[in-house]
Amino acid sequence: MRTIRMIAMACLLGAMSPAIAFDFGSIDWKKAAETVQKVQKARTDIDEPQEIVLGDGIASNLLGAAPLLDNAAVQRYVNRIGRWLASQSERPDLPWLFGVLDDSDVNAFSTPGGNVFITKGLLAQMNSEAELAGVLAHEIAHVVRKHHVLAIKKGAQAELLTDLANDAIRQKGGDPKLAKLVSAGTEVYARGLDKNDEYEADRMGVVIAARGGYDPYGLPAVLQTLQSLNPSDSSLALMFKTHPALGDRLELLDEEMSDQFAGLENQPDLADRFFQALGAGKK
Amino acid sequence: MRRLFAFCVLFGFASAVWAADFARTIRATELKAQPYSDAKTLESVPARSRVEILKRQSGWTRVKTATASGWVKMLSLRVEAGTGARRGDSGLGALFNVASTGKSGSTVTTGVRGLSEEQLTNAQPDPKALQAAKRYAVSKQEAQRYAAEGKLQAKSVDYLSGGR
Repeated sequence: MRTIRMIAMACLLGAMSPAIAFDFGSIDWKKAAETVQKVQKARTDIDEPQEIVLGDGIASNLLGAAPLLDNAAVQRYVNRIGRWLASQSERPDLPWLFGVLDDSDVNAFSTPGGNVFITKGLLAQMNSEAELAGVLAHEIAHVVRKHHVLAIKKGAQAELLTDLANDAIRQKGGDPKLAKLVSAGTEVYARGLDKNDEYEADRMGVVIAARGGYDPYGLPAVLQTLQSLNPSDSSLALMFKTHPALGDRLELLDEEMSDQFAGLENQPDLADRFFQALGAGKK
Repeated sequence: MRRLFAFCVLFGFASAVWAADFARTIRATELKAQPYSDAKTLESVPARSRVEILKRQSGWTRVKTATASGWVKMLSLRVEAGTGARRGDSGLGALFNVASTGKSGSTVTTGVRGLSEEQLTNAQPDPKALQAAKRYAVSKQEAQRYAAEGKLQAKSVDYLSGGR
């Protein structure tokens, strides 16, 4: 480790003032620099198994905040839609899990590793399977782009983070260190992601829904419905705090969803199946 | 209305109020006879016109202007906040907020489950609930079967550029 630091230092000096007359003999500078980079990367990267353990810890916390809706048919239905959409993403083989939270707040969450939750409060604002698909696809996009992992890394000392994740895996979750990591992770959900991450998830969400064969306008339709609600309703508070303004999100989708989506407008929205699956009968 | 009622029953919402939704056009927009671009134009709707929302179909919304009904592009509308509240605040949220800002401070809400910022930060993990949730997970194959049942067809669509 010390050697590597010295090499790194030497690289730095070398780069900054090439005139310094040290004789480093036959050192391969390019290779040394690569080694430094590799070591740093290994210390800060969270691999997939670590990501899944971390995500399950956060999911367990979210479920501590709001319980799972006690309705097997609805849970199964949301998993079928979500898993189909995840299969259209760049990470089709994560252990994807979808769940409806028994909470009247209007919100949806995803954790690293592929856990996605939506509240019954948000579900109750929807009018079709394509709308559900749009919201789930937005959450899937966060997982695909590892937005939460990156936000957690930004907030924690990277080195510490990976050590904790490794410890956690070794001890199969019984580790108090994992609790620390997970609680750091859970804070991201109270604080929110960067607004550009949200815009990206919107842009990717409409595409993932379209790839799944759905009417791609489901997500913007949900955003418009939320726009129609009373903004001072406390059930919207956290969602509003942690996301960019609905008007801004819709405006960006308006700019992006032009020609490319004209041919996809006739894709089904499966509104009837949505209401049947939720036990609400035919519309 | 029946749908809404069913939702209220399903999710236990005590009451629901239906009101018409209104929106303003964010730019000058053509009112079309049918929900597609080359349909007949009924009239031109100036920017910032107030219209009543009648229904939505994919990227189009059927609206009523002062003089006619027809279709405009859904994303050319900014929906008015608050006018179409389908359910009001249950009252519980307000109650908790009052409690949490009272003299005894934030500790009041500790232990009350919920998805407020504070409740999330103080949540106690529930690994059993996660295990229970995992029992509902489905395989890729099952998801594919269900998609086929709904006549959904996967297709290749490129991601949007994000203005870059």
